[in-house]
Amino acid sequence: MANDSFKKGLEGLDAGAAGSPQEEPGVPPQAGELPAHPSIEALREEFGDAVLRHEVVAGDEHIVYVPPQRARDVLAWLKDAPGHQYDFLQDLTAIDWGNGRSIQVVYQLWSTRSKLNLRVKVELPLDSLEIDTVYYLWRAADWLEREVFDMFGVVFTGHPDLRRILMPYNYAEGHPLRKDFPLRGRFSRAEQTRRSLSMQTEDHYSPRELEIAHVLGQTLPTPFDEAGSADQQGQFGGMGGAG
Amino acid sequence: MGLNDQGGLPVHAGAGAPQGGIFSGAPSFLTTRVDAVVNWARENSLWPMPFGTACCAIEMMATAATRYDLARFGMERMSFSPRQADLLICAGRVTYKMAPVIRRIWEQMPEPKWAISMGACASSGGVFDVYSMVQGIDTIIPVDVYVPGCPPRPEGLMYGILLVQEKIRNSQPTSRREWKAADALPEGGSVLPDEVVDHLTAPFGNSTRQNRPSGLVSTGAVVRASDRRP
Repeated sequence: MANDSFKKGLEGLDAGAAGSPQEEPGVPPQAGELPAHPSIEALREEFGDAVLRHEVVAGDEHIVYVPPQRARDVLAWLKDAPGHQYDFLQDLTAIDWGNGRSIQVVYQLWSTRSKLNLRVKVELPLDSLEIDTVYYLWRAADWLEREVFDMFGVVFTGHPDLRRILMPYNYAEGHPLRKDFPLRGRFSRAEQTRRSLSMQTEDHYSPRELEIAHVLGQTLPTPFDEAGSADQQGQFGGMGGAG
Repeated sequence: MGLNDQGGLPVHAGAGAPQGGIFSGAPSFLTTRVDAVVNWARENSLWPMPFGTACCAIEMMATAATRYDLARFGMERMSFSPRQADLLICAGRVTYKMAPVIRRIWEQMPEPKWAISMGACASSGGVFDVYSMVQGIDTIIPVDVYVPGCPPRPEGLMYGILLVQEKIRNSQPTSRREWKAADALPEGGSVLPDEVVDHLTAPFGNSTRQNRPSGLVSTGAVVRASDRRP
């Protein structure tokens, strides 16, 4: 038996790639052929025109485009509506397509209840990069929104602690992941070195980041105070960064 | 005069010293230079401060582990406190955000102290010729030995350490002059002049070559003429 399979393998080698059975070139599945995403229709019923566009990519990845003014309402509804309950914000990021096109803010949602994926995109024109925060819906948005703010310059109104998270606090060259950002930065290397060496890092870490927040009795901003989760915050090291 | 096994300590046995050495109880003595004794002690008991930020740190750990055994060179103890260290091994890339940290660590190390820049990123920025990376830590702290490689093999790091030991062996600790230059780190500035920093870290015409738009340069930054967009 082993010998047979060995021989077969040798023949396959001789035949080369051409000898292997050709597969039919894959036809990308159309949205209509797949089971409809239950949240899309529900969103259309609930919000009507606020669902600007619906796309299906990579087989079954559903994308919903919503206007920036309605984004927070739509996301809040998606989080709490029975049967949907997207309780897990997997990712919050942004895309700059360049050439002056709008920056897309991307919310990747997962529902642990109904086992559903959904991607919500919001397009922000370059002259008004502002959108409501979802910090109070998913705490995961805290650092993710700070990162998008740092890298793309999108302002999340209502975020309790919106400051740079990756770049140094005194970084003045803009937002590095924007397409119009030069690869080596805007300042000369000498200026970049001088600025970085003049930083006083201690002045810009909050007590919460130094893991002594629970010692100082610091509490979280509303509404988490009322939920009594301030103790829990300390238990996890107080790295929330919401000082 | 003879050389012992421990790296060139010149020793004169006392005239008429009896056979049996210093532990025999008989009066015996050695004469040598203070510089030689101090250097011999320093070079064979370096306490490295590992500053590992990337893959080079893995090789540094391998160097300290059993197969290569850094302890053979007197580095029994990796010092994770800069105040008890005299050899900074910067292994890995350093961002501008990290630059004040490594500068602070260097300043916290007591004299005498030496620095090894391990790997391409620490020495020159390596492939990371981008907005966030320090283009060589010699713009931040004075470096004694550069170890090339991406990452260097443990043998490479050990050779660098041996070079540091050689440098120590050839130094004159009784001469105050040697340490004066190291004392004077400019406050909040590079150890090199601006023009040198720009020159050292200028693009080399590789695949990421990019001209800096002159209109965007602010704060009086120095930009080379060749970097300006026509």
